[in-house]
Amino acid sequence: MLLFRTTLLNGLNLGLNLWALGGTGLVAGLLGSALGVGGGFLIVPILTLALHLPIHVAIGSSLVAIVANSCTAAGIYTKARLTNVKLGLLLETATVPGAIIGGLAAAVIAPSILSALFGLVLIYAAYTMVARPYFMSEDVLSTDNSIDPNNTPHNLSSSLASSYYDQNLGKVVTYRVTHVPVGLGAGFFAGVLSSLLGIGGGIIKVPVMNLVMGLPIKATIATSTFMIAITTTAGALIYHYYGYIYPFIVAPLVIGVVIGAILGTELTKRARGILLRRIFGAFLFLVALLMFLKTANVI
Amino acid sequence: MENMKSDESRLNNWLSLGFKLGIAVSLALVIIGLIILLSISGAKNIQPLIRLEQMPSAIVISVGILILLLTPIIQVIVAIVLFSIARNRLFLGISVAVLCFAAISLALALI
Repeated sequence: MLLFRTTLLNGLNLGLNLWALGGTGLVAGLLGSALGVGGGFLIVPILTLALHLPIHVAIGSSLVAIVANSCTAAGIYTKARLTNVKLGLLLETATVPGAIIGGLAAAVIAPSILSALFGLVLIYAAYTMVARPYFMSEDVLSTDNSIDPNNTPHNLSSSLASSYYDQNLGKVVTYRVTHVPVGLGAGFFAGVLSSLLGIGGGIIKVPVMNLVMGLPIKATIATSTFMIAITTTAGALIYHYYGYIYPFIVAPLVIGVVIGAILGTELTKRARGILLRRIFGAFLFLVALLMFLKTANVI
Repeated sequence: MENMKSDESRLNNWLSLGFKLGIAVSLALVIIGLIILLSISGAKNIQPLIRLEQMPSAIVISVGILILLLTPIIQVIVAIVLFSIARNRLFLGISVAVLCFAAISLALALI
């Protein structure tokens, strides 16, 4: 039956505090949207380290929360014409199969290996934020990638070319898309990691789309968010298939994430983004360390 | 060029509406489910893994989660409809492919 696939977790007597789960979702949604990363980097460690949930349940819950987060943001970005829907759908032809494979693989991978892998990806995410905080936080217009919309050859690249009005720059930004095969490969890898670890996969997709495929950062984040909504849905359905989605765990997370995502948008306008990213990056290093200690049964 | 921009504009508007509607409905159901749960149990700590089928709150929340998970898939269907209206065969095919992959994961969940 679709609604209920959950089974009792042997040996566990979980008494969950709704407020703790809601708070986790709130912080994840807030930082996720303010920093341009998926909330999964926060949700999975908190659910496993602080609330002592099994990692498969944490990953499944995280995926549902990310769907809520990305749908909220995608509704805003598509309205603002920032999302390149055609490119997003094209890359999803590789990302969704990756998500299905990742979800199926996660079910047969030992929790300790998943925790260690999550720790490794956290270190990469933390490095990106601490060492390269300008990336993903600046409104950089790739001037050498701008095109004349009336003088473009008719091929896939021209079909994917798009434009949006940038309020900060006060002008229409028109861009073309290059290196599509690289994007498809990165999309597949991001899909696998997304379902395997309960993250959005933006940490893989955003650098490739921005630095390799030539999308301006605003279009990159918006398109990545649109893709994450579809990818994490596929992953969440696979976790549902294995019975890892629990309504009373997911419900407060979803409410917190949606409120956090709305507040996070406001925070982005006021906070010093680069400082925020450095602090969060340092925090992720600490979380990665804790994940490794948990894997080694030290904590 | 103008027709293409008009098509993209229509696509963006419909997708935005769909995302917002999906989130609103699913969030409402999840909140209602939690209110039912708290009004019945009144407890801060709950046992979330026991006899879900017999709990009305779990049913309402699960329907909300299901609508949330279907929201992005419905957006792909909306894209298919709009690309077919615009007679854009390339992206119609791409959208259908994405829907097929999403349908596989949905079919696994339904089994």
